Amino acid sequence: MKEIKIAVVGNPNTGKSSLINAIAKANLRVGNWPGVTVEKKEARLSYKDYSLYFIDLPGAYSLTPYTIDEEIARDFLFLEDYDVILCVVDTTNLERNLYFVVQLMELEKPLVLALNMFDEVKKLGYKVDPALGAILGVKAIPTVAVREQGIEELKNALVEVFEKKLIPHRLAYGEDLEVLVEKVVNHLKASNPDVEKISLGVVFKILEGDEKLLEKLNLKFDKSELEEMSAHIRKVHGMEISDFLLDVRYGLATGIARKVLQRPEIRRRTFTERVDRVILSRGLGIPIFLVVMWLAFKISFDVAYPYVDFLDKAINEIFKKWVESGFKSLSAPDWLSSLILDGVIGGVGTVLSFVPVIGMVMLMVTLLEASGYMARAAFLMDRVMRSFGLQGKAFIPLIMGFGCNVPSVYACRTLDHEHERKLTMFVVPFMSCGARLPVYALFVSAFFANHPAEVLLFLYVLGIGVSLLVATVLHKFYFKGTGGPFIMELPPYRFPTLKNLAIHTWLKLRHFVVKAGTWILVVNVIVWMMLNLPWKPEKPEDSLLGKVGHLIAPVFKPLGFGDWASSASLLTGFPAKEVVVSTMAQIYGSGGKEEGEGEEKTLSFKNDLKDLILTFAGKTKEAVLNFSTLRIATLSAEVPEEGKGILSELRSRFTPASALSFMVFTLLYFPCMVYAMTVKSETGAYKFVLQIVLVTLVAAWIVTFLVYHFAKLIF
Amino acid sequence: MPKLSEIKVGQRVRVLSVEGSPQVKQRVKEMGITPGVELQVVRVAPLGDPVDVVVRDYHLSLRRSEGESIVVEVLA
Repeated sequence: MKEIKIAVVGNPNTGKSSLINAIAKANLRVGNWPGVTVEKKEARLSYKDYSLYFIDLPGAYSLTPYTIDEEIARDFLFLEDYDVILCVVDTTNLERNLYFVVQLMELEKPLVLALNMFDEVKKLGYKVDPALGAILGVKAIPTVAVREQGIEELKNALVEVFEKKLIPHRLAYGEDLEVLVEKVVNHLKASNPDVEKISLGVVFKILEGDEKLLEKLNLKFDKSELEEMSAHIRKVHGMEISDFLLDVRYGLATGIARKVLQRPEIRRRTFTERVDRVILSRGLGIPIFLVVMWLAFKISFDVAYPYVDFLDKAINEIFKKWVESGFKSLSAPDWLSSLILDGVIGGVGTVLSFVPVIGMVMLMVTLLEASGYMARAAFLMDRVMRSFGLQGKAFIPLIMGFGCNVPSVYACRTLDHEHERKLTMFVVPFMSCGARLPVYALFVSAFFANHPAEVLLFLYVLGIGVSLLVATVLHKFYFKGTGGPFIMELPPYRFPTLKNLAIHTWLKLRHFVVKAGTWILVVNVIVWMMLNLPWKPEKPEDSLLGKVGHLIAPVFKPLGFGDWASSASLLTGFPAKEVVVSTMAQIYGSGGKEEGEGEEKTLSFKNDLKDLILTFAGKTKEAVLNFSTLRIATLSAEVPEEGKGILSELRSRFTPASALSFMVFTLLYFPCMVYAMTVKSETGAYKFVLQIVLVTLVAAWIVTFLVYHFAKLIF
Repeated sequence: MPKLSEIKVGQRVRVLSVEGSPQVKQRVKEMGITPGVELQVVRVAPLGDPVDVVVRDYHLSLRRSEGESIVVEVLA
């Protein structure tokens, strides 16, 4: 069986992902491009006597890269070995897409165009001349990816161009450029005798002065030759070669589009344009945006949180119970069962129970992205965000941060400018996520029971304020002068299919689940060890954790809570902030229940199953009820079960001012390990993560110090 | 000559030249705003920036600061 290696490319918003999903079906494999974490999708399937091997390259507007995505696409197309290019074209936007196609033709590889969204073309009353393929020397196949139309024809065309070695026609670039092309080819042949074939694409890259690529291609070219050529173009056309080449290419694209595309004389206003007249209007634009955000938020948290409780019960109560009895019957050593039960299941289980919320947040983001609203949100919010050195597209990650900072980091992918992406990731942790709520709940009920809403609101607003302040400062001094331009396509509104939504939500969620199973596991085992070493300490204070707590406590003295226990709690909050409360409960919890001995745990599979089903039903009811109220129910904090016994303990150790101080510090200091690992995998840099840790700690300390001393004056 | 940033909503213009830093200029042009092309300012965002223009039959959004480097002539 012959293998055909196919590079799949296309502009953003052309439905390329849907097409890949339609072609690949269950054969889709997802990995990362080496060195960066831009997703790499691949699929292998057999068709007739061939094995078709699809490699999905990131979306690109051009092969002169501007974003990370475009650099990956360029590098692959110029440096890797492949047989055929499949380019997905948004046929409703033919002219601009053809500009990219013209660049692909220069690579002199067999090329197939998927004329996608062909149904929309017909609806608009456009006519596309079937001769398009013949004019360009490629195969052009009409497709409707979301309805899986044209897929068979596409596979057929891929095999055909491969077998016939159909190379796209050489377009005419005009005398000036042709002369230069000839010169460059001659020079290249002379200085690189062992290179056999040089594509027009490579020649143009030399003319554009893309030195990075030449280096990677290992081609020698005398720069002084280039200088002479650009002097000529500058004299005749008054611009740089790369600029001139761009104009010529666009001219070619326009020419082809005129030849093959027939448009109705009177342009009808499209569905998208009619919708945007309302959604982006002066009066309603912002209110509608706020409603959409509120809805997305409410669905993510109110609908999903009850299922977190359910999973928590399933894992931390019932599953744990069974494992515990398993250990007992095997009479496993104490330390082993404690490690597995408290360290592994307790830690990883708690994190995994957040899958419903994270999954729902991912679903909302996917929905906003796929429908085209995300681009509108960026359009509406750009002016506000720019005041803080951020840009419109950064709004979504920040809002999502209220739920969980981890999906926020993934959402930063929509920011194409590297510095803006990093800056946004940097300030996301100050958005108060759900994991910090248990801490607030505990302290609010101990000290501010009369004003819970006011204190919570203060904390949320403080988080937003610090985030924007830090963004402004970093933008001024660290990511200096990097305000990238804001040039963004507003794609037509499209209804994503359920299948595509599900696939893309899962692709985003996958990272989180994998991380919980690996990194969080390790950290939890470490925390468990520190709490239990030297083995079975008399008092928690004698454990390794206690000693470390004593060591760092002086740092927190000026903030009002310099005892070892709160310091140690904050330290254990590094892996996940929920742990702050459970550590406090363990340390202070003398008046509580002795676990495992007080009540006899019964093991009955039937009862447990019944319990699970009843809980699930109850939680579903809760989700429905949550959704039917206007407020966001999950944002009203409840005291966690484990914390109830220690309220009086807290009252004797904290003052209202130091309690507030502790909450503020919890809000602002470095969010959690999962966040750190996500930032690491998204940016590939440990150094950057360390910078974030440092800045969040310092910012948290300073702000908390101010809040504490201010609070002392008031209370 | 007026710049794109000075054009009122609804007006049709023809692009004469694109200036600005090489990188931004490159991207603006690659998105289809090349000399000779006609475009129309469709709307301004509710907060006054960015703007939404139709060029080559699709909608593109850019800030006024990008518009400042696009020289145009107004069409009747």
